[in-house]
This record gives sequence, structure tokens and C-alpha cells, in this order.
Amino acid sequence: MVRILLRFSEKIVEKPITAQVILEQKTPISIVAAHVNSQGGEILVEVPSTHVKKVAEAFRQRGVVVSFPKLIEKDSEKCFECGACFSLCPVKAISFKDDFSVVFDLEKCIGSSCGKCVDACPARAIKLVADLEGLNSK
Amino acid sequence: MQLTVLNSFWNKIVKKILKLELTLSSETFRGMMMALGKKTAVKKRTVAEINEKIRKGDVQVLTAEEMKKLVEKSGVEVAFKEVDVVTSGTLGAMCSSGAIINLGHSDPPIKIQRAWINDVEVCHPGAAVDLYIGATQMSDTKPFEYGGGHVIEDLIRGKEVEVRATAYGTDCYPRTKLRTTITKDDLNQFYLLNFRNCYQHYSCATNSRDETIYTYMGKLLPRFGNATFSGAGALNPLTNDPDYETIGIGTRIFLGGAQGYVIGEGTQHSPRNLFGTLMVRGDCKKMSPEFISGAAFTKYGTTLYVGIGIPIPILNEGLAKKTAIRDEETFTDIIDYGVPRRDRPKLGKVSYKDLKSGTITINERKVSVSPLSSLKEAQIISETLKSWIENGLFYLTSPVERLPTDTVAKPMKQTEDIAFVNNVIQTAVTCTEDDEIRAVAEKIISRSVNHIVVVDKEGRISGIVTSWDITKSVAEGKRKVSDIITRKVVTTIPDEPLEAASRKMAQHHISALPVIDQHRKVLGIVTSEDISKLLGR
Repeated sequence: MVRILLRFSEKIVEKPITAQVILEQKTPISIVAAHVNSQGGEILVEVPSTHVKKVAEAFRQRGVVVSFPKLIEKDSEKCFECGACFSLCPVKAISFKDDFSVVFDLEKCIGSSCGKCVDACPARAIKLVADLEGLNSK
Repeated sequence: MQLTVLNSFWNKIVKKILKLELTLSSETFRGMMMALGKKTAVKKRTVAEINEKIRKGDVQVLTAEEMKKLVEKSGVEVAFKEVDVVTSGTLGAMCSSGAIINLGHSDPPIKIQRAWINDVEVCHPGAAVDLYIGATQMSDTKPFEYGGGHVIEDLIRGKEVEVRATAYGTDCYPRTKLRTTITKDDLNQFYLLNFRNCYQHYSCATNSRDETIYTYMGKLLPRFGNATFSGAGALNPLTNDPDYETIGIGTRIFLGGAQGYVIGEGTQHSPRNLFGTLMVRGDCKKMSPEFISGAAFTKYGTTLYVGIGIPIPILNEGLAKKTAIRDEETFTDIIDYGVPRRDRPKLGKVSYKDLKSGTITINERKVSVSPLSSLKEAQIISETLKSWIENGLFYLTSPVERLPTDTVAKPMKQTEDIAFVNNVIQTAVTCTEDDEIRAVAEKIISRSVNHIVVVDKEGRISGIVTSWDITKSVAEGKRKVSDIITRKVVTTIPDEPLEAASRKMAQHHISALPVIDQHRKVLGIVTSEDISKLLGR
């Protein structure tokens, strides 16, 4: 599952957009947290990782601002780019560039529901970011 | 920035010793070349000639990666003609690393007996105030997270560290306690002294067990869920000079971002089976944290990542050919680290090209594979060394003595036998999932056991049922084995040392382990009772 953050503006907040996307994409979307009122709103949802690209696109087409909350952080100061984390990632969120730099795809990362790479890092350069910090502080 | 400063520093030093250097190397090399010349009688160049070119600024240097491409394109002969030096590189976990430091004398003086730096116990091998910081020694207060490798890195970074020491006190060294804070500038000497580094190649590790294991080859997921490998393949220093023609005692190298030296073969040097190693030394005060870092392997311990680059002078066509070796021609074995024995099972062979692709095949399944060495830094090291040579900051040396080329490391001589699961294995009492609990209860009584292993038609393990489960099932009114079965079973194999099996039972709070083979067929069972009987004997 991948978590995406949906921002609804005042103009579209009344529309049943989430329901439309669920029906159109034929995929379950579970709402993790929601803050909605007549001025607009934010919903954090979980989408199966296989459908995330299409679902994000479907929301964007309907005027929703889609972002991927940061679930993991790589400390570039500490990281010496070994890639020990690479083979532990079940969703292929970690990859190598041509020069063998290690890159994290934050759109694919499933964060604290996995966390397999964290204790595999010999440089201790990977940190899970607390999930809802951004949302709850509002 | 940091490198530039260091570079200019070396430049001065190198120029000072250059005169001496050239005399030494040309003499040694003439001797070697005469011996070689009889057989090959072909074109060759000497280290002295290369150093002359470095001085003039027209030396031709390629990284090992570039050399491979050139040979592929233009052939060995052209490559030999055009290239003077090929630079290699690797940066990986090198556990047999450490640093020797001299603290200077305190007043009143102390003959240190035991000492700690940032709570990491350091070894006191010498007279009074010499200490050896072993990379794998772990902190008393933060074990597995901070260790000797981190102390070395912190010192190199210029950080302050706390030194504590105790002593028994003598007439000449009366002091018994000491506590002080120092940086690298306060030390007389601070030298990296690594007794085994820079493996020629290393195994690829995977795990057949049902549980994640944490090893010096990193985190290995259950049932071949992933694999790891070490080393930079065709970029590895010793892979580019496999016959130790140019790498020997006295070879000047890139070590941790500074210039260091090979001081001999490393411990366990095993060139005959391509596990050659080096012993190296370098001045930590000049090193850069980009190329040397403390590291922690979860549930295994701490270590030091060390960057090493070695220049290979292309003295003959043979060396041009050898330095052209490619990842697809560099192989290693896939080893099952799930078997905690000295000789672990080999599961296949794999090339570094496949390893670097991120996916290999184990038992006909695609498995994701992680490097543990930094392939990016290995590349950077070979490029940095190249630029040092091109800019006249680094001159080549000829070995003053060759390293052994035909030795194999011996295993330990053991005078006491150790017990394995095989020694205490008992026949397992089994049942199937469809059995009635009542029938199983009868088996428990008639065979007087506490554990019944549940198997499928082929005799493969599908779970376990204990006498406690039966008791509970009576209380809860359950009838079938399938209602009470525990499916996640901790198992063992005949080859596992009894100590390891015993540790497993303690970790999981259980009193028996089914013994299975690689196809998960049940071979028997070991119980904590049987182990206590044997070990208590």
C-alpha cells in the first residue's frame, strides 16, 4: 500500500471525487486521516501500490492536488552509497543511478508499514518519518 | 576542497623523497625485469620510466573501467602501448582494520592496563601509552551501534574523544587512573594498521533459513529472500594484478583518501583460491571521512568501511591484458549463510556483472542482490588516484618484496570436539493435519514425548503440536489437529552446532526443534532435554 495525500480546494470539496475514483479505477482506497470543511480539505489515503500511478492521475484530472508524504529519509551526509538497503525493499523503491548512487523513490516507499531497509543500513543513514506529522499539526 | 589541501601537502612530501624513490625502484625493477625478460623478451616498461613521465606530466593513466573499454575496442597491444598506469578501487567493510595511536606521556606517568575511547575498549599492546583501536570492538554503552570504527572516523573528522584508562601502578609509572579529552592533533602517531583488507573477491551471501539472519554480510531475508555481495568486481585492486606482479611490500596506494602503503600479505591470504588479502598502513591524520567511515551491522557488530585504490603499472602486455578483466569474467560463489558452519553450502556461481545488475538466480528463482561495498565510491577512488598521478601528486613504487602467490589459509586446529544437532537427533513422532486430537494425545502418552511434528503427504513439515496445545484443546473443545496447529515452526538442520540450536530455543522460549532437510522434509527432532543431557555430561 502507498500513502498519498489529497488536497481538495474549496471549489471541488463538495464533489464525491474519492468515490468516483474508487469506482472508475476499481480499486480499494482506504482513508487513513481526513480534515475536511467547507473551505476545502485534506485526506491521507492508502492505495494498493500496483494502482498508485493511475489513481494519482485520476485524482489530478479532477483538480485534486496529489502529493506523497515523506515516509523515509536518507541522510546524505552519513550515506556512503553502498546499497545494502537495495535488496530488502519489497516495492522496488530503492534503485541505483548509472554512477551507482543510491536513490529512494518516495512515491513507491511504503514507510513504517515495512521499514526493512532501516536496520540493514551500515551507515545508519535511513530514518522512518512519523506518518501523520504534517496532517495532525494542522 | 579538503582534497586539494591534502594534495598540495603530498606534493611537497613526494617531491622531497622522489630522488631516493627512483633509485630504489629502478634497481629492484631491473632485477625483476631481467628474470621476466628471458621468457617474454617483449616490449616492457619500468616503474622508473613511468615515474619520469609523471614528473614530465605526460603519463597516460586510465581507470580500470576505462582500460577494459580500451582493450575491448583496440586490443591488448595498443592498450599496452598507450597506457602506463591503470587505477583500481574499492570501498567496503573491512573488519580486520584498526588504528595505532600514541597518546604521549601523562604526568605523573601511567602504564596503561586497560583503556577506553568514547566507551569503546581499546587494546593496549605496547609499553605505556600506545593503544590499538580495533574497528570491531564495540562500545560498552552503545554496543552494536558505536565501535572502534566510529572512534577512528570521529578522530579523522577532527572531533574530540574521551580517553579513560586504568593501571596497576608501578614505581616508574605510579598513576592508576586517567581521564582526558583529545583530538587527532594531540596524538603523536595515528596510523591505520589494517591486518586484513582488500579481498581479491568475496562470496555472495544468501539465507536458506525460515528466519531473517543478521550477518557480517548484512541482513539476509528468510528462504533466499535476498542476497548480498562484497567487493567491486573488475574494479577490485587484486583482481587487476592477480599474480601480484606489481603489488607487494612497499607498494604505495590510495588509503582512506591519503597515500598509504602495502606492508605485506593480509592474514588468511589465500591467493591460490583467489582470496588474496593485503596488510596496509596509512597516516590517519591525512585521511578524509569520505573514504573511511565507521559502520554498524545490526546484531552483528561494528566495523570500518575503508577505501583502497591501487595503481597498476602496465609493465608488460600481460598486465595490459590482466587489467582488462571485465565483470562478466569475474566470478564468485553463492553461499548459504543460513548454515552456521565454516564450510557453508555453495548454491551456485555468479559473475560480478550479474551481481551489479541487482538480480541473480538462486534455485531457479530471481533474487534481489545488494552490494555491501560502495560501487560509486570505488569508481571515485579509481578516478581520484588517476588524477593524483596525472597531476604529479602520486609516484609509483616497485615492491621491495613480492607477496606469496600460491598459499592457502589453513583452518583452525581444534583439540576439542564440538557437538552438532546430528549428535542428539531423535526420531520425530509425527501426525497429519487431519488426525483427531485424541489420536495425537494417545501418541504423546505411548511414545512419552511432548512434541508432535505435523507433516504433509510427502513428509514435509507443516507445523507442530505440543502436549500443552492438546491440553488447551480439551479445555476449548477442539477436535482436529488443524484447529490447534502452530504453523510457524522454528526448525534446525543436522549440521547446526548444538550451541546455535540451543540459543535458538532460548530466543524463542521453546523446548524442541524439528530437524529438516533442504526440501523441508522432517528428519527428526532435538529437544532441550537431550541437549542438556549431552552438554551436562
